[in-house]
Amino acid sequence: MKRKLIAVVAAAFVTALALPTHAANIIDEWANVKVPAAPALKPMTVDSKTDALLVIDMVAETCNAQARPRCVETIPAIQKLLNDARAKGMTVIYALGISGKEILPILAPKDGEPIVKSGADKFVHTEFEKILKDKGITGIIMVGTLAYGGVLHTASQAAFRGFKVVVPVDGMSSPNMDTLYTEQYTAWHLANAPVFGGRVTLTKVDMIKF
Amino acid sequence: MRRCSAILAAIAIATVVSSGVGSPVCAGNIIEEWGNVKGPTAPALKPVTVDPKTTALLLLDFVPHDPYCGPRKARCGATLPAMKQLLANARANGATVIYSVAGKYEAADIVKDVAPAANDPTVKSKADKFLNTDLEKILKEKGIQTVIVTGNSANGVVLYTATGAALRGLKVIVPVDGLSANELYEEQLTVWQLAHGPGFGALVTVTKSDMIKF
Repeated sequence: MKRKLIAVVAAAFVTALALPTHAANIIDEWANVKVPAAPALKPMTVDSKTDALLVIDMVAETCNAQARPRCVETIPAIQKLLNDARAKGMTVIYALGISGKEILPILAPKDGEPIVKSGADKFVHTEFEKILKDKGITGIIMVGTLAYGGVLHTASQAAFRGFKVVVPVDGMSSPNMDTLYTEQYTAWHLANAPVFGGRVTLTKVDMIKF
Repeated sequence: MRRCSAILAAIAIATVVSSGVGSPVCAGNIIEEWGNVKGPTAPALKPVTVDPKTTALLLLDFVPHDPYCGPRKARCGATLPAMKQLLANARANGATVIYSVAGKYEAADIVKDVAPAANDPTVKSKADKFLNTDLEKILKEKGIQTVIVTGNSANGVVLYTATGAALRGLKVIVPVDGLSANELYEEQLTVWQLAHGPGFGALVTVTKSDMIKF
């Protein structure tokens, strides 16, 4: 009898451990978060008539070795994209912050390439959507900084508006190695979040064919 | 690594920004660095007092069907008791309450625990409830300056509607017990992004429903 009671109590105890009475919120669960596998990068081929290249917030004031070393590391990849895009006659658009500082000279816009100015989401209070529609653009390759600012929010909003979005991971950046988490979740979220309905492609500059 | 250093040096010379000291160690792209990412620190939850006259509680996509707050969204179901209480507090203090739905669902489909009253507005849209809806107009007409954002999924409706509000200059309150997603990683990135997002994080308060005073 006593043994049976112990067994019942033990079983109840194990059950209680296995089935928490309520799910804890994310702050309580913070240490239990598992990092998912890195998303696979996918090759893509540009349609030079309907795809545009958007260069976001690549300005001398912040994209320098002192303030944002990881931004500096993306410059060669972005330069290559700009050269390839212009050689194919693609639409190139620049985005800046609201106060709009000087674009890095090495990535400077050519005559007639439009510049839009806004916060993280470059569609808010700008002509960006109109420019895209007027030019018949249906796909946008996005590069720039910050990954979790201008890139994440403009990519998201473009996908919500039905545009196809391509984000090369070597063209977006967090400030430095201490803030890599922001690049990680930006990459993961862009590749996986159901809200995009498969309209976002995560890739690498040398996997983009012109 | 060597190639990268050479590129950096060339850029530094070309743009004349190099100080010549402490040149950065060149690293791989985020996919290559995936295993080296330091996990984030949890933001501190802050008590907050709101003025019910200028505050709206947003209850987003609380529809008891998948992929919204249905049987496969157990963590959404777990937020309902706290949201029911938060809704009762908001109503008792006369705060504005606004709902959203998506897809084929309407206001009448919202889960009973947090069901709308007759005059509560409901907007219908995908992740960003400001997109293709009257939400911004409704908030302006009611003189709303602060929104409390809750719903499923965290990195869908909550992330984008909260960000949309902050980018339009509204104060945003996000109770962590009012958001949910399938994976904890998704909830974590949402909370971190809202607390620290460039340009709008300063407008966002991350809290818990019982730390919100009307």
